[in-house]
Amino acid sequence: MPLNIDWQQILLHLFNFCILALLLYFLLYKPVKKFMAKRSAFYEEQAKNAEDKLREAEELKNNYSARLENVDLEIDKKRNAVLHEAAEYREKRIGEAEAEAEALIEKARRDAKRERAKIIDGAGKEIADMVGAAAEKLVLGSTDAAYEAFLSAAEKSVEEDDENK
Amino acid sequence: MKKKTIAVAAVVALIMAALLIGIIFTDSDKESADISETMQDAVLHENDKIDFFGLEVNPGFISALIVSAAIIAFAAIVRIFVIPRFKLKPGKFQMFLECIVSFFDGIAKQNSPHKNGFLGAYVFAAGIYIFVSTLFELIGIQWISVGGGSVTLGAPLSDINAAIALGFLSYFVILIGGIAANGLRGVGRTLKDFSLPISMSFRLFGALLSGLLVTELVYHYMALSFVLPVLVAVLFTLLHALIQTYVLIMLTSLFYGEVSEPHVKKQKNKNKKTETAVSE
Repeated sequence: MPLNIDWQQILLHLFNFCILALLLYFLLYKPVKKFMAKRSAFYEEQAKNAEDKLREAEELKNNYSARLENVDLEIDKKRNAVLHEAAEYREKRIGEAEAEAEALIEKARRDAKRERAKIIDGAGKEIADMVGAAAEKLVLGSTDAAYEAFLSAAEKSVEEDDENK
Repeated sequence: MKKKTIAVAAVVALIMAALLIGIIFTDSDKESADISETMQDAVLHENDKIDFFGLEVNPGFISALIVSAAIIAFAAIVRIFVIPRFKLKPGKFQMFLECIVSFFDGIAKQNSPHKNGFLGAYVFAAGIYIFVSTLFELIGIQWISVGGGSVTLGAPLSDINAAIALGFLSYFVILIGGIAANGLRGVGRTLKDFSLPISMSFRLFGALLSGLLVTELVYHYMALSFVLPVLVAVLFTLLHALIQTYVLIMLTSLFYGEVSEPHVKKQKNKNKKTETAVSE
């Protein structure tokens, strides 16, 4: 062959290189690549974890901010409700007190009226008695005695009125 | 500043003196007669075959075996003692290993975004093999040839058989990628570049051989054997080790990416129809 090309030697070189390539792949290339892949996976996982945690923290922060913003509104709402309730209660109590006062006044009026009627009734009867007694005395003839009796009867009736009052 | 100038001047003077001594004490006529034979041997290895279990092989194959053994031993030591102690925060050596793997893996992913698992492993092995085997010629290990003479083991890829093996294997890997990604269409795409294995093989061979020839040429003349080999051998070898590694893995990755790219159906007819419908 020209240029000393020898197929046997070409095959020998091929055989030699194939063995070398195979051994280099298993001894050096694959383990180093595997380690590098493992390391990048580890760092990717770390980065992912950090990202997840950051996102969680962001979410928590947003939640708390929203809740803080709502707190003022909620406080206002509750205060209004309480004030409204207090006003209603006050109105109710005032209404009740007024009704009670009116009932008491009505009752007092009724009592006073009844008492007055009673007193007027009692006084008429006494006057009728006194007039009867005086007429009786006159009829019986002793004016002085009748007069005395009239006075004492009148005095007695006045005392009784005072006592009743 | 003065000290620095004096030191530079001294080094330059030494180099010039060494070159002058070389020129004066060497016989150029005698050496020029041998150089063509040396060059021919460097290319064809007709007179420096080495016995390998009964087979007569080129020195490049012995170099390939030594390089492979060294790389495998290094990989095994790293696998047993270093990789189990890898840390999340890498040390210098771990960083170095990770950088190498990431570099080849990155090239595979960058040039072949659709299918690159196998390609990454292949370019890693090929890249390391080309780089280390090219640097191997710096050591200059001596071996005994079949004829009983001494042979300096050069870079494995300066042997055309090694270059052809790697070129064709790269093409085969590209073909496999095409089949895995696109089936028969992938085969068609790969076969379209039928000259690729030859061009890759001869590019590798040519680059490595030229380095070898330049080094041979420099070493052959006594006059050039002072100081100059330090620059020529080390710098040239380092440079073309890097360049050839990069070129082969880039070419393989690019073609692999091209053939493994998913097929997109052309929608010319549909577009034309819609255009006419719109115009109507």
